[in-house]
Amino acid sequence: MPTLLRLHRLKFLALLLAANLGLLLHLAVGDLKGITEWVWLDILGEGGSAFLALAWLGLILKSRPAGRVTNLLALGLGCVFFSWWIDLLDEFVRMPESIVWDHWLESLPMPVGLVLLTWGIYHWHHEQLAISVQLEKRERLFREHRQFDKLIPLGTADYLRRQIELELVESRRQQRPLSLVAIDLDDFDSLNQRFGHAEGDAVLQALTQLLLLNLRRQDLLCRLAGDRFVALLPDTGESQARQIAEELRLAVASLAHRSRQHGERLQLRASVACAMALEEDAETLLARLNQALERAKRPLALSA
Amino acid sequence: MTIARRWYERDSRLIAAHQQPAVLIDLCLGRGINSHKLLRGVGVFHEDILAGQLRISPEQYLRLIGNARQLLDADDSAFLFGQRLLPGHQGAASQALALAANLGEALALLVELRALLTPLLAPRLVLDADYAYLSWHDACGAGEQLDFLLEASMAAVVAMSRRLGGEHLPWRFHLRRARPRQIEQYWVHLGEDLHFAGPCDLLRLPRECLTQPWPQAAQTAAAVAARQAREALCALEGPASLLDSLNRWLLRHVREAPSLERAAEAFGMSPATLKRKLKKHHSSYQEQLDRVRLDVALYLYQVHGFGNDQVASHLRFHDATNFRRSFKRWTGLSPSAARELIRV
Repeated sequence: MPTLLRLHRLKFLALLLAANLGLLLHLAVGDLKGITEWVWLDILGEGGSAFLALAWLGLILKSRPAGRVTNLLALGLGCVFFSWWIDLLDEFVRMPESIVWDHWLESLPMPVGLVLLTWGIYHWHHEQLAISVQLEKRERLFREHRQFDKLIPLGTADYLRRQIELELVESRRQQRPLSLVAIDLDDFDSLNQRFGHAEGDAVLQALTQLLLLNLRRQDLLCRLAGDRFVALLPDTGESQARQIAEELRLAVASLAHRSRQHGERLQLRASVACAMALEEDAETLLARLNQALERAKRPLALSA
Repeated sequence: MTIARRWYERDSRLIAAHQQPAVLIDLCLGRGINSHKLLRGVGVFHEDILAGQLRISPEQYLRLIGNARQLLDADDSAFLFGQRLLPGHQGAASQALALAANLGEALALLVELRALLTPLLAPRLVLDADYAYLSWHDACGAGEQLDFLLEASMAAVVAMSRRLGGEHLPWRFHLRRARPRQIEQYWVHLGEDLHFAGPCDLLRLPRECLTQPWPQAAQTAAAVAARQAREALCALEGPASLLDSLNRWLLRHVREAPSLERAAEAFGMSPATLKRKLKKHHSSYQEQLDRVRLDVALYLYQVHGFGNDQVASHLRFHDATNFRRSFKRWTGLSPSAARELIRV
């Protein structure tokens, strides 16, 4: 995301300026060492550390919007980098014995930087707690970004499977019921045909928000595939799951989604099904849920 | 005896780039993928495709598919692609499909116009008293893209039948591949009647579904469109791929267990040339012959209810034991297990 990096242009500029100033000061006062005097191990160690600190700074700034926590982290890492940078310069420039400020320049920024960094990480922790609340119903106790859906801000089927497995163990241990609810849009294909696939994607995104609103705090919503969603309901028996499923179905039916192009209302309908976990693994439970959904979707096809 | 010497090969430039390949390109562009990355190694530019005259070879199309899969990096790519393929934008051929009187007519057109509608994977339609079977055969040496093509083609036919017929049909799916990790994609985009690790890639449907009339059928317009599509087919290098043509020739002569030399003669080339051409398509003569014998065996089991002895003698094996051993080599399954799998 180049836009995020652009936000932090000033910070990089300041760091560049400071590093240059350090270099100029050293060159002004000291003499260059000959190649024979270079200590390669030190150069590699100190140079490598400085380079890594710079890489961390780049990655953090690239992934974070501007703000207080970002400033703290950037300032901290900036100081750490500066300290290692000055340390590295010593390897190339011999300073006269009478000069002491270079020791200050080398040693002072490090503790200051580490304190700032610690302070920043502490606030980052609080920030993450706040974000986790926003991710409620989408993520439970385990994070793997490779299992995030690419289109919709939800976990994928793989994430769901893993969560079901964890929750099955937990529910057995605590002797509590566990249920799944599946929600599937009817005629999603014809909606795609009529309004275009971009509109179809927008419907799925709107639907995600709607379903999240209608779930409880402890529930988890994932996208199984296509237009099919599955909610994991811990501590929920079959009748309660059925009631929640019905409420979700009604919510979808009364959603007034407006198309992006002409603003006309798209009438959505969904089929729902639920399954309570028995003595089985995640795969069987999901398969059973899916069969229940197929029955709910096509009562006629099966009797034929 | 030679057959008509017209077929297309892996490097024949016959696929109109602004038709099927463009569907895949649009899908990728819609997901924010850079067109230069997508077309890397394909040897064409997006601007050339937009000009509307460019034709690419199966090899280039396969490369494009490989790039798209890698860049989309999603389990549902093949299904999303497939759902947009049929009736599609292939001019008269698509129009003929869209105006067909019923599914049976549409599937017959799909098979006849396969070089236009599904150039990489050849469909074959077989009927018995109860069911219609649509099987899929690698036409150009798809290699690691085969699963993608199968998923896309099956999704395409299922989506077309639902779109044009207006209802869900009780499709059954047989696939040679093992049960995939992303099984939920199959559930959602195809259906739940799925059978993996079988002897063939096949769709099955109760026969009466073929004749239910489609609401938007237009007999006269459909006939004209079909005629125009046939003209377009004649303008191609051939109405079927080399592998596909060889397959059909072998089907006719399978009981004579024809040698490579005889096949080469029928195709008007030297045995060495045929060998080389098959190698270019990542295959060999023995593999093609075995594939056809397997198809015939399955057909005889399923449609005629033959037993092992009858199939063995039909295919001119010395005895049933010999046949069983060969069958196991072809599929990794015993004949009875395979029969069980497709009969269920």
